[in-house]
Amino acid sequence: MKTSFFLGFLLLLGIWYLTFSATRLDRLHHRVETSWANLDALLQKRAAIALEIAHSDLADPASSMLLTAAAYQARDADIKNRSMAESGLSGALGLIISDGLAHATVSEQALLQELSALTAKIRVAISIHTDAVSSTVMVRRKLVVKTFRLAGTAPLPVTYEFESDVL
Amino acid sequence: MLTTKLRIGIVCPYGWDTPGGVQNHVRDLAEFLIASGHSVSVLAPAIDETKLPDYVVSAGKPISIPYNGAVARVLFGPIAYARVRQWIGSANFDLLHLHEPAIPSISLLACWAAEGPMVGTFHAAAKRQKVIFAIGPILEPAIEKLSARIAVSEAARLTLTDHLETDAIVVPNGIYAKRYSDGTAQGKWSGNTIGFIGRFEEPRKGLQVLVDALPIIARFAPDVKVFVAGPGDPKDFEKEIDPQLRDRFEFLGKISEQEKADFMSSVSIYVAPNTGGESFGIILAEALAGGACVVASDIPAFDSLLGGGTYGALFESENSTDLAKVIIDLLRDEEKRKELAIAGKRRAQLFDWEVVAQQIFSIYEMAMVGSKGVALGSDQRSWNRFLSRDEEKR
Repeated sequence: MKTSFFLGFLLLLGIWYLTFSATRLDRLHHRVETSWANLDALLQKRAAIALEIAHSDLADPASSMLLTAAAYQARDADIKNRSMAESGLSGALGLIISDGLAHATVSEQALLQELSALTAKIRVAISIHTDAVSSTVMVRRKLVVKTFRLAGTAPLPVTYEFESDVL
Repeated sequence: MLTTKLRIGIVCPYGWDTPGGVQNHVRDLAEFLIASGHSVSVLAPAIDETKLPDYVVSAGKPISIPYNGAVARVLFGPIAYARVRQWIGSANFDLLHLHEPAIPSISLLACWAAEGPMVGTFHAAAKRQKVIFAIGPILEPAIEKLSARIAVSEAARLTLTDHLETDAIVVPNGIYAKRYSDGTAQGKWSGNTIGFIGRFEEPRKGLQVLVDALPIIARFAPDVKVFVAGPGDPKDFEKEIDPQLRDRFEFLGKISEQEKADFMSSVSIYVAPNTGGESFGIILAEALAGGACVVASDIPAFDSLLGGGTYGALFESENSTDLAKVIIDLLRDEEKRKELAIAGKRRAQLFDWEVVAQQIFSIYEMAMVGSKGVALGSDQRSWNRFLSRDEEKR
């Protein structure tokens, strides 16, 4: 009698732990999705600003072409190639900003200011997203999660190797 | 500047009516956010519930536990948990901002109870602690619910990565730089004077280091005077001081904010000889904002705040001979003092609430993306879904 009671208790505890882990994982997956959506939106916005800069007088024809190409590449890249494309865009933007600042008009200065504000936001968004991804990956490596397939059909989140200092 | 109006809930883990850096930070942040038009409610433990400002909700009486070399007044337990749940459930917040959620406190309870956008700020900088190491696996599921983590300094960030293996964004503590910038120099505190502010009875504030350094300083600068401000009983300290030098020390007791500003612009040198346990060094930022020439121990928090010696002089922590040397050099070199004070004052603008609150607010915005606000959560949510899949549809 006593042992069966004990076993029942253990079973209940086990079930509780499973649902607890499933909820936890579900929450993490949700967070990865929202933080990625946020980051993606910000990056799209950055590409749009980059195109605007490319069409402004800030860029000479050669760097304008470079920037346009980089911006389109960043827009079209799939999630796995995204970080590389975005780093490329950062590089192209860096080139123009470093020698374009001196002779910028008022409207162009506003554009550059918008870009720097956006860059600060992207930095925060990246850190939030990479954090969500790494905790999700950590939880998904757990034995309970693997044996009971708590992750279901959700794909393993892609680590976005976007170095913040590239920006 | 901060456009959308939000309903923000802030949880302060330490007793509201006991002095402390976290409490001050929460108070200033809450008042700044309210002044910018947001509605803010702060949940905090309190000893005397009748004396709270109207934006603070009491969570009950705090209990004292030893933590990080000091006594922390915190609160936890089933009754506190019920109060936390009630506070979250009744207010319909857009976002929760939890302070110091990694210690057993109402912040952790709130993190446990709530579901939705949450931001956590980590203040403490401590060496690796076995206790936290042991309860890490319990904390992990709670801490990972935070959408974004803020550390108040590089030291606090390292503590976090060490203990809980998660990263954080560094946003410094805020000060009202303007309050300190318009102090007027007072004759009684001017001359060859050294200032110190803090609870000098606590050994980690390091007043003893300054006391030990004074005999050497007095040999080179015979008219030097030390002004010590801050709450505490100076009797025990005066016994320790060399009788010949006792009249060099003057204990001012607790001083007001306005007096603090005057104090900072009067004294020749402001000294922060803290031996450790400091995460950011708010008093140092205030001293810089007040235009003081600052000398501080080279503990990590101060080193990074002073930019490795660019905005104030550093000395080797707990080494009173080195402190004496640095102070003597500065007392003799007025040009250098002015130079440091001007650089420091500019540095302090980075910690002004106008700047800091904007940074915190943009993290709030990130945390709130795609959310419908804070609700009471259940760790058994997957059951609801399993039994009746209507939770999401509603």
